[in-house]
Amino acid sequence: MKKTINIPLGSQHISLLEPVRFKFECENEKIVGVDSDVGFVHRGIEKACTTKFKYDGIGYVVARVCGLCAITHSLSYTVAIEELLNIEVTSKAKYLRILLLELDRIHSHMLCLSHTCENAGFEAMFMRIMGDRELIMEIQELLTGNRIQFDYINIGGVNRDINLEVATKIVNNLDRVKEKVMGYVDEFTNNWSLSLKFKRIGALSLDDAYKFNAIGPLARASGLNIDVRNEIKYLPYHEIGFKMQTHIDGDINARNIVRLNEILNSIEMCDNILAGIPEGEIQTKYKGKPNGESVVRFEAPRGELMYYVKANGTAMLERVRIKTPTFASIPAFSHIFMGENYADAPAILASFDPCLSCTAK
Amino acid sequence: MKKIKVTLLDIVEEIKSFYDYKKWHFLTINGVALQDNMLEVQWIFSKYETLEEIVIFYVEIQYEDIIPSIVNIIPSAIISQRELVDMFGVEVEGSAKGLYLDKDSIQMPLRGCLL
Amino acid sequence: MFNFKKYRKKSPWILHYNAGSCNGCDIEILAALSPKYDLERFGVINTGNPKQSDIFLVTGPVTFRSRERLVELYTQMPEPKVVIALGSCTCTGGVFRDMYNVEDGIDRYIPVDVYIPGCAASPELIIDGIVKALDILEQKTKKMEKPLKLFQDASTKDGIINKRDCALKVGEKDEEN
Ligand code: SF4
Repeated sequence: MKKTINIPLGSQHISLLEPVRFKFECENEKIVGVDSDVGFVHRGIEKACTTKFKYDGIGYVVARVCGLCAITHSLSYTVAIEELLNIEVTSKAKYLRILLLELDRIHSHMLCLSHTCENAGFEAMFMRIMGDRELIMEIQELLTGNRIQFDYINIGGVNRDINLEVATKIVNNLDRVKEKVMGYVDEFTNNWSLSLKFKRIGALSLDDAYKFNAIGPLARASGLNIDVRNEIKYLPYHEIGFKMQTHIDGDINARNIVRLNEILNSIEMCDNILAGIPEGEIQTKYKGKPNGESVVRFEAPRGELMYYVKANGTAMLERVRIKTPTFASIPAFSHIFMGENYADAPAILASFDPCLSCTAK
Repeated sequence: MKKIKVTLLDIVEEIKSFYDYKKWHFLTINGVALQDNMLEVQWIFSKYETLEEIVIFYVEIQYEDIIPSIVNIIPSAIISQRELVDMFGVEVEGSAKGLYLDKDSIQMPLRGCLL
Repeated sequence: MFNFKKYRKKSPWILHYNAGSCNGCDIEILAALSPKYDLERFGVINTGNPKQSDIFLVTGPVTFRSRERLVELYTQMPEPKVVIALGSCTCTGGVFRDMYNVEDGIDRYIPVDVYIPGCAASPELIIDGIVKALDILEQKTKKMEKPLKLFQDASTKDGIINKRDCALKVGEKDEEN
């Protein structure tokens, strides 16, 4: 007789924001096998980048790969093209880019934390974090003109300048967010019922993190020092006080703590940027068509994002390859599910912060 | 960015001797369509905690060639291999079709100009 | 007695399905449900169960693999139901129009009552759209409750009136005119 039963999760499920289907093979309560189907949102963006759009418009198209890390996508693509065209971006534009990148990271991490709480059954915390997240959305709208799809970055610079009023507002709101995040840290570390849901569940050991090439908060929670912000040189991260945040436990709790610490670090970096933003133009002129190939990596909120661009001197590109964070961590996800209780599956899944529209492009 | 050209026969050996899982981070497998029915397949690695060090192994093959699998060395390569199979319609050892595409979608979308 | 029909409008339940969107509009739905915009003051709850919901909120141009699920979810919902297309890419295909794995917009598959444009649609617009959908829901309820009048067609044999035949007849008349 067969000892296991198959339980599907998805493709439409209350705890999922996006369509993904997992098939768990369970023995009593334990998960012994995982099968996933991630192709529900495949649209064909990579193909369209080489046939439908010219190179100067693709920055806005690749932003639509994912709404949460839209800014990282357009930034990576833009930097790849700028490398091919030899454009030197002014330092003011660079700082503005980092500012938005970090604001985006803060709101994405807050969304993830609230969603983890919701899936653990803590509705009040979900509402609290979502309410506070609006402070960040407000300043994003002030800075760029839109709440989600900013379309802020273009080749050679950024689209909007910052003025004193906006800067003051950002500093004020960030101060308020910082206070609130301190409150969450207290809640996440000291709340006993949350710790029952989060501690020692869904753990990934350091060795496995190396083996499965885990990235982002998932890897850093296991103690793996991988953060692309530490490994790139076209954005001056070392000047503004970037600190790597790691933890050693590797469970859901560790991931939450890493995310909270990253929010605090990002707030600190934003404050540093706004304290010393340089004067100057926000846009450099450029001419010519891209030629050659380049690989660019950036740290999206969920981990490392890679763009490979190959151009041939015309307005149409030859190949755009997008390697997104969730896509690369799917083998690690499947590994973590093994041996866990089925009842914890939604909470574990939420703690990965998966982004399926990234995965399938 | 360092590009190393290898042949299809010794790609597995090459990666096996190169790859140290505590030093190198495997990024992805990438395919680029070339002229005359040729395909360039790239295996991209980066080094942990170093500034901008990227190594690319690449081979140039025909579409009919069978690409060897590196799952034994790098378990997380499996998903990139499945994507390669879907996007270019090539054959990779032990990788199934159907990660993204359905039966009635356009097959091998990245292979030449279709749209 | 408690009258369900009267209160349906006061507490509509939402079913949300992502048919290939970029997540931008999905997080705006979450933001609209959260304390600042507070969609829940209209009695709206986000459920995961098609059999209990009244409003079907779809985001994304329909990708090939989600077609079946979309139609299935739609058919599982009880009448009366309202469909909202949320976001530019759901209405027309948006940036994804003509890509090889998408159908351009959901109205190729299911009838849509409210279109909400914007990429991404702001929470204010979402609230506006849902309030509009509530009116449509009420109209549909009224229409459903009205007794159906079937006219006797002299040409039918035995005087048996077939609803579908009548509908066909009416359609033919329209074409003639
Ligand atoms: S309308 Fe724009 S923001 Fe909304 S899901 Fe579509 S592409 Fe994303």
